[in-house]
Amino acid sequence: MTPELYSSLSLALPELIIAGGALVLLMIGVYSGERANSTVTGLAVAILIGAGAWMLLFGGTGKAFGNVFVSDPFAVFMKVLMLIGSAVTLVMSVGFAKAEKFDKFEYPVLILLSTVGMMLMISANDMITLYLGLELQSLALYVVAAINRDSVRSTEAGLKYFVLGALSSGMLLYGISLVYGYTGHTGFDAIAATLSGADRQLGLVFGLVFVLAGVAFKISAVPFHMWTPDVYEGAPTPVTAFFASAPKMAAMALMVRITMTAFEPIAADWQQIVVFISIASMVLGSFAAIGQKNIKRLMAYSSIGHVGFALVGLAANTETGVRGVAIYMLIYLVMTLGTFAFILAMRRKDGNVEQISDLAGLSTTNPMMATILTILMFSLAGIPPLAGFWAKWYVFLAAINANLYALAIIGVLASVVGAYYYLRIIKIMWFDEPVGGFLPMAGELRLVLGASGAFVLFYVFFGGPVGRVAEAAAKTFF
Amino acid sequence: MAKDTSLILMIFLPFIGSAMAAFFPSNARNAEAWLAGAVTVCGLVLASMCYPAIVAEGPVRAQIEWLPTLGLNFTLRMDGFAWLFAMLVSGIGFLVVLYARYYMSPEDPIPRFYAFFLAFMGAMLGIVLSGNLILLVVFWELTSIFSFLLIGYWYHNANARDGARMALTVTGIGGLCLLAGVLLIGHIVGSYDLDVVLASGDLIRSSDLYLPALILFLLGALTKSAQFPFHFWLPNAMAAPTPVSAYLHSATMVKAGVFLMARFWPVLAGTYEWFWIVGFAGMASLLLGAYFAIFQRDIKGLLAYSTISHLGLITLLLSLGSPLGLIAAIFHMTNHATFKASLFMAAGIIDHETGTRDMQRLGGLFRFMPFTATLAMVASAAMAGVPLLNGFLSKEMFFAEAIETHADSILDRVAPYVAVLASAFAVTYSIRFIHGVFFGKLPDDLPREPHEPPFLMRFPIQLLVLTCLVVGIVPGLTIGPFLHTAVTSVLGLATPEYSLAIWHGVTLPLLMSFLALLGGALLYLLLKNYLAHCEEGPPYFRQLKGQRIFERVMVAVSWRGARFLENRLGTRRLQPQLRLLVAVALIAAAWPLYHMSFGLAAFSWNLDDAVFSGLWAIGIFCAVGAAYQAKFHRLVALIFLGGAGLVTCTTFVWFSAPDLAVTQLLVEIVTTVLILLGLRWLPKRSEEFQTDAIRMAARLRRYRDLAIAVAAGGGMTLVAYAVMTRAAPPTIADYFLEKAYTEGGGRNVVNVILVDFRGFDTFGEITVLGIVALTVFSLFRRFRPAPDSVESPEQQRVQNATDEARPDRTAGETVSDYLLIPAVIMQWLFPVIIVLAAYLFFRGHDLPGGGFAAGVAMAAAFILQYLAAGTRWVEDRLRVLPLNWIGFGLLLAALVGMGSWLFGYPFLTSHSQYVELPLIGSIPVASAILFDLGVFSLVLGATVLMLIAFAHQSVRRLRASRIAAAEEETA
Repeated sequence: MTPELYSSLSLALPELIIAGGALVLLMIGVYSGERANSTVTGLAVAILIGAGAWMLLFGGTGKAFGNVFVSDPFAVFMKVLMLIGSAVTLVMSVGFAKAEKFDKFEYPVLILLSTVGMMLMISANDMITLYLGLELQSLALYVVAAINRDSVRSTEAGLKYFVLGALSSGMLLYGISLVYGYTGHTGFDAIAATLSGADRQLGLVFGLVFVLAGVAFKISAVPFHMWTPDVYEGAPTPVTAFFASAPKMAAMALMVRITMTAFEPIAADWQQIVVFISIASMVLGSFAAIGQKNIKRLMAYSSIGHVGFALVGLAANTETGVRGVAIYMLIYLVMTLGTFAFILAMRRKDGNVEQISDLAGLSTTNPMMATILTILMFSLAGIPPLAGFWAKWYVFLAAINANLYALAIIGVLASVVGAYYYLRIIKIMWFDEPVGGFLPMAGELRLVLGASGAFVLFYVFFGGPVGRVAEAAAKTFF
Repeated sequence: MAKDTSLILMIFLPFIGSAMAAFFPSNARNAEAWLAGAVTVCGLVLASMCYPAIVAEGPVRAQIEWLPTLGLNFTLRMDGFAWLFAMLVSGIGFLVVLYARYYMSPEDPIPRFYAFFLAFMGAMLGIVLSGNLILLVVFWELTSIFSFLLIGYWYHNANARDGARMALTVTGIGGLCLLAGVLLIGHIVGSYDLDVVLASGDLIRSSDLYLPALILFLLGALTKSAQFPFHFWLPNAMAAPTPVSAYLHSATMVKAGVFLMARFWPVLAGTYEWFWIVGFAGMASLLLGAYFAIFQRDIKGLLAYSTISHLGLITLLLSLGSPLGLIAAIFHMTNHATFKASLFMAAGIIDHETGTRDMQRLGGLFRFMPFTATLAMVASAAMAGVPLLNGFLSKEMFFAEAIETHADSILDRVAPYVAVLASAFAVTYSIRFIHGVFFGKLPDDLPREPHEPPFLMRFPIQLLVLTCLVVGIVPGLTIGPFLHTAVTSVLGLATPEYSLAIWHGVTLPLLMSFLALLGGALLYLLLKNYLAHCEEGPPYFRQLKGQRIFERVMVAVSWRGARFLENRLGTRRLQPQLRLLVAVALIAAAWPLYHMSFGLAAFSWNLDDAVFSGLWAIGIFCAVGAAYQAKFHRLVALIFLGGAGLVTCTTFVWFSAPDLAVTQLLVEIVTTVLILLGLRWLPKRSEEFQTDAIRMAARLRRYRDLAIAVAAGGGMTLVAYAVMTRAAPPTIADYFLEKAYTEGGGRNVVNVILVDFRGFDTFGEITVLGIVALTVFSLFRRFRPAPDSVESPEQQRVQNATDEARPDRTAGETVSDYLLIPAVIMQWLFPVIIVLAAYLFFRGHDLPGGGFAAGVAMAAAFILQYLAAGTRWVEDRLRVLPLNWIGFGLLLAALVGMGSWLFGYPFLTSHSQYVELPLIGSIPVASAILFDLGVFSLVLGATVLMLIAFAHQSVRRLRASRIAAAEEETA
């Protein structure tokens, strides 16, 4: 093996570990049948943790495979978030899968495969790598969304996601080919180099628009958000938790990387697009969530809104902006995982419930759960001094420093509207007549919910170090 | 103790106390009260200890590193003004704790009350002591949250729930607006440090962002202080326990808004915008609050509206932009806190002892509780502005300011009249409170027998009323120095001369005071009978309930609006979602087009291309036809598809790419046949869709979709044309054409790419092909066709029927001889095609052909056999084991690839040379040819496996119909 190949392979070792692990687990699953489900899940979590640990301890930085793959502090930061998302959602799925009888060993394997795809997305430094990673991730997600084959809602969700996702992939490819057609390159560095020299051409702007549209679909930003509520509602809850966490991290990282490297020379163009989708997402996410009755659907609109907020930081096109995005995604991940741990625990004797009205009077029946969810909701609403406030604070600060006043103010107003529906949940939990409590929480859910609540509550005390790490990640691009 | 430590302790002690209080047992009333009392006393002591330092050296500061990367530190700062407020918060806090010990009933969950109460106090001290704007906003929102929790303390009460939610919605939203305002201010100044910001008044006022920053800032302050038009939440917050009302909604929290305006007075005030916005809000609150207060039946409601009115007075004073106005405002803040807190406590005692707060039901209580009544009377007198009490002093100062001209406008000119009128109203409601509750006819239906409260419950009121008196009589000796410290800390060197004396001689303000007292008393006499029986709420304004408007607006803006938007814009159906996505893509593409010129190369028509163009016209027609017929007639669509494929194939020939053409042709043939075989098993199109009566709406929808499709397609064409007419950058094709022979040793570029340059890709691709074949096979194993496609085809049925009808034939004879001659020819063709495949395989390296083409051709031979003789016949005679072929192909390809390792080359490096063979002649022997053999084997195996999957459907069908027939017989 050549030294170059060796160094490339060692840079991509976490990806290789997970990809290889997925194949081995698939074999284990196939040959031992249903008995192995919990083993496979456990091993999958171990593989994810192992890959993450290797990356943190021994992972270097640099470019690999002829500049198509890059590992830098930003990639490591986002990959860690993404791995946490994958691992935690896998852990959270165990109890639910047993109770709802969808414990299939394919589930952890698919999650691993999509995780590989997401890691490639985060590390992509070439349009082709980007597309390969995106498709690997998406294909696994299409299947996972429909994994509960006996449920009409689940299969419908999977099919819808597939059709719309295929369309958006088409757009992305179309954009990539236009960019290639006008620059003659697929590598991000080469594209940027070509762009910074030449006059901007219209075809290229087309390409940019389509590439961003394709990625916007993956982060479910308006106007490419239509699939989100349906898929969130239709998919089994652990799958929804996964959808809401890890893929968001990966797609947002991808968005940042494309704009910050490949299209950096034409920042003025993409800034307009990002500002538009950011505003549209914040406003739609806030307003549409109000009328929801199903808590998963509500979380879907909430995620749309939060993506809009995170994009506020990106729109600034500054180091503080990227740092804001990184911190926003971190805090959003923790809040989302906590909230979904709660949703997974919304369980009565006759099965899981998903309606917001089922939460009525929870403060008297399960005071601890109600308290932590209250903290999470306040945090999601962005009320100080909880973590959600700091997330918003970082991105709005970046926007204001970049003189994007209108964006920042619309953002604040949207979060005001958003606060309303989070407060509604709190009001229902604390002030409405109880409708009966939930069964005791499973241990793993309790752990996730508690950890998430503690993180959100005490973020003020360790926000400094976290900010420094995110700053180092953001420095990658500047 | 160091000053900075005491500041930090002042903030953290209440929070620590709160956490401790939460864990006490629920019946630990006394322990809780002791704890809370100790915390408040500590706050008082700590604050007082700092006073000498503040007087001597100016503000006391403390700092903890917090988020240093953001330049954000946990900075605390106490100057004279903050000190005054800190004393108010701690002092009244102590009194309220004492009062609450007796007020709260043993059944109430006490730990929750004290936990929230102390946390609120900590947050309030945080607002007052923050030395950093962000920190201030954080504490600001915390007060909103704890206020929400305290108002909703009795959450079984619907009013408490609604009131709590409304208060949180209004003040919380205000807080977020304040955050935005603070961000803007911080951006203008470049720092969030309070000292820096307070020193940059001119910079802020001259900034372009001043107005937006001011509006957002004021939204925060006015909502918190319940100023018009956000005043409606305060009366609804009265559902809180009375100690909470006394503390939060008179003395402290609502003061946060005016505190903030006074704090930023040096940097924000003095402009025309400030005057108009703040002045209008203040004047409207002053007048309307006082007017509404007259007509309340609930004592606490009266006090709430009175609070709005008094805060309006303070706001109005702040709006004037004169230093004297600011002094009066600060003075009135302290005065109002003392008398209003005592009045709330008195109201609580009345409620506690009689069981009602309705003034129409109460009366004559003086006889039962003379002591409390006297205290309440003195406090009310202070509220009404009677001389010798503190309320009088600040009101005098207010009058003196109101008659001055500050910013000449209508608002400024009406100020004195409004001031007198509102003061008169204040006198009226004060008299109504005293007269209605303590005098008059003794009610006979009180829920409880009234009597004096315990001494300690009354003690806080006594102390506060005493303060009112002492300050009212000797202001210079009591409050004077402290007020001076507070005022100078805000105004600095600009502090003007002012006097706190009671007697200034017979001046206009004094006359105005007496006019107001007299007018108010007369008004009460006039209204007395009406008030005794009137409904709740002021006449004419009764219909205009702030609460109801708020709820309506909330429902309309949020719930209904959201539903409407969702129904209009959102959909759960896939078709509209797809349509929207495509439309958005179209718009996104059209948008840059609109902004920039496109610069298309001129289109030229070359006659030489006419035939080719005609060919493509046919191809396009076929493609469109296929798309159009896909829904209506699958077979026709497939035929069209084949036509389009053939045109593509011809195009390759036209451009001299026979290798591509051969591959395309073979693939085209085999896939078409396979799809045809598959189509057999799809259900028929439902009859109901075939009716001609398609509704107009559906028709229109289709035309719209057609338009979108045409636009999208047109756009695609345009962009593609633009890209293709550009000077092409060096493409990869040139590279391959150049290097195919020199490095790959072959002239068939497609094949060389497949097996050599991109051997690794091909290896991956054949793997995928194998997997696809397996998937098709396993899917078909479980596939059960629709009932209508299980039946025999119509032709077979007709033929069988004919056979049965004729005596000389037996059923099935015609069918068995179906297509006899073609079948024989096809069988004979089998060896011929094998030879063709071998030919294609061997020449593939240099000429059109190759392993892939050969595999597909070979598969065609099998397809023919299946078609001609049927599944059973073929499989009886041939050992068809496609799985083995697939496996062999993959293994061979992998081994060949790895073989190059033996010679020290990377995976799949190929070697080529020509070998002379007898009979056949010179053939190229690249190591790639072995690889090609693997490809051949796999393609053949995969295709045949799919074929088998289809073919076995017919076997299964026969079996199924036999079983069905057998079942019928037994039945």
